[in-house]
Amino acid sequence: MIEAIQNWFAPPRHLILLVIALWFGWWLAERIVKREGKVHEAAFSNLTFYGLLAFVIGGRVLYALDNLAVFSLSPLSIFSPNPQLFDPFFAGTAAIVTMLVYGQRAKLPFWQTLDALTPLLAALMLGLGAAHLAEGSAFGRETSLPWGIAVDGVTRHPSQVYETVFAFFILNLIGTRGPLPHAGAQFLTFLAWTSAARLFLEAFRGDSVLIFGSLRLGQILAWAVLAVAFLALNRLQSKEQLAN
Amino acid sequence: MQSKQRIFFAAILALGLVWIFLSADQDGASTNGLIPAPRAGFLAPDFTLETMDGDTVKLSDLRGQAVIVNLWATWCPPCKAEMPALQKVYEEYKARGLVVLAVNSTAQDDPQAIPAFIAEYGLTFPVLLDTNNEAGRLYELRSLPSTFFIGRDGIIYEVVIGGPMAEALLRTRVEEILK
Repeated sequence: MIEAIQNWFAPPRHLILLVIALWFGWWLAERIVKREGKVHEAAFSNLTFYGLLAFVIGGRVLYALDNLAVFSLSPLSIFSPNPQLFDPFFAGTAAIVTMLVYGQRAKLPFWQTLDALTPLLAALMLGLGAAHLAEGSAFGRETSLPWGIAVDGVTRHPSQVYETVFAFFILNLIGTRGPLPHAGAQFLTFLAWTSAARLFLEAFRGDSVLIFGSLRLGQILAWAVLAVAFLALNRLQSKEQLAN
Repeated sequence: MQSKQRIFFAAILALGLVWIFLSADQDGASTNGLIPAPRAGFLAPDFTLETMDGDTVKLSDLRGQAVIVNLWATWCPPCKAEMPALQKVYEEYKARGLVVLAVNSTAQDDPQAIPAFIAEYGLTFPVLLDTNNEAGRLYELRSLPSTFFIGRDGIIYEVVIGGPMAEALLRTRVEEILK
């Protein structure tokens, strides 16, 4: 099964999985927005569209600016179909800034909009896990457990499968339950679940970036995000109680 | 209710900290780069192949130099499309220690078409013949072209499957592996 996925979606086709996840997440988010009616439908649709546009264009343009010396030697490379000429961090930043600006101009309520975006983010996490599996990246550490998978002659934890399964459960949790009482709770719960999953699953990875000798950077960052999500959830509820 | 939740959150965070220390990588399991595999972060699998002139090239002998291993075939359109960029970048960077190994997937190519291909594109870097698909097997060749950017330490920095690669892509990666 894993081998079949890796053959069908061998790089660069693994990116198709991300596109499918994006499309599904978008569809799911719009459906929930329509059902709950907390955010203006057309404005939400525009927000996601502009965000996506900024992600694609920003990721390439900012990458080119970051490597200006190289791109000045072959300026037409900016139109190259090579997905490697792209910076996901810059892309994400461009998308967030664009969505913040548009959201403010369209007077979209901040927390309700984040809640509405949550199914899209959850679907993307699922797509990311599947893309890792197809690409063979984010691989696991060596194991002798019976469900280990052979990677380059070594039996390893199927860390990408763990990642995909957890993402699926989180998406299922987000997509199937009704609206939560506090605005922002949906997004913060997703953030807490996702960071907790990363904190747990990073331990099975074989490609962790280590700091202080043996600590996994991914876990430390996930712990920090989890703490922020808990604090924000707690604050949200305190505010709500005060208001009542 | 809220104080119970606070305790729950604090307990989860405390457990998280314990887990971070329990699952710390004491045995160096995350320190890849020592195991040969055709993936980024791993040691580039070693091979010994012959050039068109019958000279032998062993990849591990090039340790200390930045290496691009490009697997290609004469019949493959994206391989043809990226050869001029590969040659151009090789000319620019060879003085700084860049080596390009163009590994022809001879097991699935016509060996007689190779000299004409080299002449047509004016290739000056070594063209190696993978007659028995040794490199193809070691590098788990799935599609042509496949390019491996290998650092001076012999570790694969990036793998680019498919093509053609833009000049900017080649230059940015070469700058990285030359560091």
